[in-house]
Amino acid sequence: MSRRHHRNVNPEDLKLTRSKFTTIGKLWKELSNNRGLLFLVLFLVLVNTIFGILGPFLIGYAIDQFIYKQTLSGIIPLLIGLITVYFFYSLTSFLQNYWMIGIAQETVFTMRTRIFTHLQNLPISFFDKRQHGEIMSRVTNDMDNISSTLNSSVIQIFSSVLTLTGTIIFMLWLSPLLTAITMTIVPLLYFGMKWITNRTSKYFKEQQKHLGLLNGFVEETISGQKIIKSYSQEEFVIDEFLQKSNALKKAGFWAQTISGFIPKLMNMLNNLSYALIAFVGGMLALKGDLTVGIIVTFTEYARQFTRPLHDLANQYNQLLSAVAGAERVYEVLEEEKEEIDEIHAAPVERVKGNVEFQNVSFSYGRDENTIKNICFQVENGQTVALVGPTGAGKSTIINLLMRFYKPQSGTILIDGKNIQTITRESLRSFYGFVLQDVYLFEGTFRENIRYGKLDATDEEVEEAAKKANAHSFIMKLPNGYDTKLTEDGSGISQGQKQLLSVARAILRNPSILILDEAMSNIDTVTEIKLQEALQRLMQNRTTFVIAHRLNTIQNADQILVVYEGEIAERGTHETLLKKKGLYYQMYKQKENTIVV
Amino acid sequence: MQKRAISFLKPYKKYMIVAWMLMLVELAVELTAPILMAKIIDEGVLVHNIDRVILWGFWLLVITFLAFVAGIINSFFAAYVSQNFGFDIRKNVYKKIQNLPFSHISKYPTANLITRLTNDVTQIQHTTFMIMRIALRAPLLIIFGTAMAIIVNWKIALVLIFIIPVLLVFLVVMMRIAFKNFQAVQKRLDRVNRRVRENLKAMRIVKAFYRKDSEISRFIDANHQLKAQTMKTLRIIELNAPILLFIMNVGIVLILWFGNIQLQIGAAGAGAVVAIVNYATRITGSLSNLSWIIMSFARAKASNDRINEVLMMDEEDLVQNSENTLKGKIEFKNVYFRYENHSKDINKKSRWVLKNINFTVKPGQKVAVMGATGSGKTTIFQLIPKLFEPTRGEVFIDDKNIKNYNSIHLRNQIGYVSQESHLFSGTIKENIAWGKQGATNEEIMKAAKDAQIHDSILQFPNQYDTVIGQKGVNLSGGQKQRLAIARAFVRNPKILLLDDSTSALDMETERKLLEVLNKYHCTTLIITQKITTAKQSDSILLLDEGEVIGQGTHEELLKTSQLYQKIYASQSGKGVKSNV
Repeated sequence: MSRRHHRNVNPEDLKLTRSKFTTIGKLWKELSNNRGLLFLVLFLVLVNTIFGILGPFLIGYAIDQFIYKQTLSGIIPLLIGLITVYFFYSLTSFLQNYWMIGIAQETVFTMRTRIFTHLQNLPISFFDKRQHGEIMSRVTNDMDNISSTLNSSVIQIFSSVLTLTGTIIFMLWLSPLLTAITMTIVPLLYFGMKWITNRTSKYFKEQQKHLGLLNGFVEETISGQKIIKSYSQEEFVIDEFLQKSNALKKAGFWAQTISGFIPKLMNMLNNLSYALIAFVGGMLALKGDLTVGIIVTFTEYARQFTRPLHDLANQYNQLLSAVAGAERVYEVLEEEKEEIDEIHAAPVERVKGNVEFQNVSFSYGRDENTIKNICFQVENGQTVALVGPTGAGKSTIINLLMRFYKPQSGTILIDGKNIQTITRESLRSFYGFVLQDVYLFEGTFRENIRYGKLDATDEEVEEAAKKANAHSFIMKLPNGYDTKLTEDGSGISQGQKQLLSVARAILRNPSILILDEAMSNIDTVTEIKLQEALQRLMQNRTTFVIAHRLNTIQNADQILVVYEGEIAERGTHETLLKKKGLYYQMYKQKENTIVV
Repeated sequence: MQKRAISFLKPYKKYMIVAWMLMLVELAVELTAPILMAKIIDEGVLVHNIDRVILWGFWLLVITFLAFVAGIINSFFAAYVSQNFGFDIRKNVYKKIQNLPFSHISKYPTANLITRLTNDVTQIQHTTFMIMRIALRAPLLIIFGTAMAIIVNWKIALVLIFIIPVLLVFLVVMMRIAFKNFQAVQKRLDRVNRRVRENLKAMRIVKAFYRKDSEISRFIDANHQLKAQTMKTLRIIELNAPILLFIMNVGIVLILWFGNIQLQIGAAGAGAVVAIVNYATRITGSLSNLSWIIMSFARAKASNDRINEVLMMDEEDLVQNSENTLKGKIEFKNVYFRYENHSKDINKKSRWVLKNINFTVKPGQKVAVMGATGSGKTTIFQLIPKLFEPTRGEVFIDDKNIKNYNSIHLRNQIGYVSQESHLFSGTIKENIAWGKQGATNEEIMKAAKDAQIHDSILQFPNQYDTVIGQKGVNLSGGQKQRLAIARAFVRNPKILLLDDSTSALDMETERKLLEVLNKYHCTTLIITQKITTAKQSDSILLLDEGEVIGQGTHEELLKTSQLYQKIYASQSGKGVKSNV
């Protein structure tokens, strides 16, 4: 029984490469964590196969003895024997699956947890280099694929191979001649399948391509529906849709027709072997070389014989695409973890918030320095504004301060202590953030604010929300603080999300605050509330602000103008304006706002 | 013209009948084979007649080949029907979506509509293909197989008559349980995937807060539930086949036992017993296919329902007739608006988005609309091109109620630039020409110049023929906004609606752009967050929670509106501290 939907399989995934064998080995190892149970399952497969072969044999024997010869006694014991065989056949086939599902799901559970845990331990550079969708599909699609394959493939493959060999041995024992005749369908099957798959692979590729194009077009035009309507372009997009849909239909027709030959071919070969066995077997029985019971047994075996061949062919593709998925999963699992803390690193209780950069240089790639020789000093409680064009290195400075990356040279000190000597966990506990993207997760508003300090009481949470100007809008929600937020926080505005983020930061009570508060999507009214909340939050904390509205910058104790990886200018708003340098130019250009 | 999805099968009725006929040929062969086998045994082997063995053996080969040929031809017909049927459904659903009023479309999340056009259609297509090939074969084989067994020897066949209904009931019950469980698995799986997506999106924050332990335990929790549910479901399903097989096999044993008795009293031939055993094994095979078929029917039904839901909606009247060009006067009279079943809204359902809105804009005037998120700015805009209709009250354009305007005619004179600046894959030229089919190169270039994007375009590798979108050049937010504005300009609109579409532009560019507007002699409504933009307009409309709380020029509002004063103060960098 299949619950597999039509997946879009990448043709590349179906190629058998050397690395796939290594991956199969790894997957096998993974399964072997439950070695005892796995061997039990394999043993059951063996027993099951034997019973499966025994059944038709006994039926044939019964027909010979009790139907043709009409022996009078002994039928009851034989029939009881048959029922016993069938009972154990069904029982073993259930138990093998029962335990295999356990093993497979346990394995998948462990792999999922491992890949997720590993992701948490990877350096931020890993995520900066890749798209979310790509990582996402490894944890979801690829794992899902592995899951359904492990459930069925292990047993299927073993049982197919065993049934195949077992059946052939039995058939040879019963009648070598009939076996040889039954075998003639194997080359027919092989060439037939080859003829079909050679053709279908081409059409499937084409179908896949057109389906991709069509889906892309649908996605674009459905999400742009408002524009299509307001510009009255309905007819135009319908025409284009029909063209694409028609191309898909043509490719789909041939793919479906020809791949539809496969079951027909299998069926014909089944019937052919049936006819051949009946015909040749009948002749042999005439000569007395064979009994009728053996013919009946043989027809049953011939059926059992083509099925595993078909199953193996099916399993092969599924297995390969799952292995390709597993390869991608292992690729993530084998990524280097974020460096562990230095041996002499120790946790620190509390810091005041004096920050110093001494000749810090860093680059993401090898060729070029992203920031060069950065030096500055911040007293606790001060506000530092970092301004400069995109890509100048502002975020890099913050990344280094957070120890997301390690400087190639130079030292960063907090309260005079090199941050390399402070464990990451305690270091990051001194920081609070209000960033452009607010992370809200599925859960209540209360839980979301509590993210800033996991052991905060309900009173503390509400207190923080009040200070962040978030309390009033939360209270308007149907269930107040216990209202559930959807995954992406839909239903509340960008500005309200930011207020929640501020509440979180207030709750955390950090010594050092980092603000990356690009406000382009925030409406004016919420912005006023946010400004107020931020002012409260910034009091008595060392604050780093990246690029902003004028008032934040104007009030900063220090402005660092970052340009091409260096600090080009530094000073207060007034001194920098007087200097008539870069800052002055940016200020003039944008009049009221410095959007960087 | 509302048609259900199934009605699109009508033109292909003939082809379907042919496909079914061919399938019946295959079925007949399958059912005759055991009889021929019985004849070989009874008339040939047992009485030592070699000619009979050859004769019936030959016929067995002939009909086998016949079945194969029928099967191959069936494949062509079935594919033809299912592909064309799928094409027709896709066409009609897509057309339907294009012709629906926007207010209907906006009720569905985009991904939801896309699934209906893609996965759901594919699902139906596959099921149709299956119906013409095997779906009917399995039940027919069960029925005819039993019937043939009865004809061969009804007493022995009694065993089958008792067993099969029991098995059918068992199957249906199991399928129900399985289906429910699969849905539960899907829900758990979605949850796991959601947790991963959430986490990946916020990796920087997770790291910054050093929250990996709590993230991991949240994930393990979801993962654990998925594992438990998957195991339970799969195990229930694996119970299905062994039980079914066992009962069927016991049936075969009973046939043998009963056959033996019948033979002894001379009521049946040996060949007959063998034939019935043969039918029984074939029926067993069909029964296990049946569960798979029921499963895929259930899926196709769900897809079919989703598609029908779209097909059954009322279309908008989009026939164009020629009317005079507009002057561009806009008037809102006591307009109230709320969304119908806006279920995604986290707040109470259907609260008023607009309350008693009244304002007039004279032809050629430039009006800035300001207010908080959710204050109803965008909703006002969407009422003008009739994307939504007011719940109460009236909207007039050139003193005529917009209800009486033809949608296409009205929209053709409006340039609407939405907040998201949605562009389409294709060249820059195509994207601008989108605003006016058949626009000349000069018109396109003029629109681009006016939208202050011409210079940027010239710097692209292929200039106006540069491909943008997924496979092409990535544009910055500001460039996208200006292209979207150019697309509106090329229409030479009488009413221009700019929904916060200059937010990513710098002061200088925006100033030039607003100056250009004077050339166009169009009525302009512009949603903005910037005081500087508002200052340059003829009048400002200030909204709060769906109501107009201020209306007038910059100077007037500075005197009369507290909110406006606050906004002004915050943006000019003065006085915020005094508000703390």
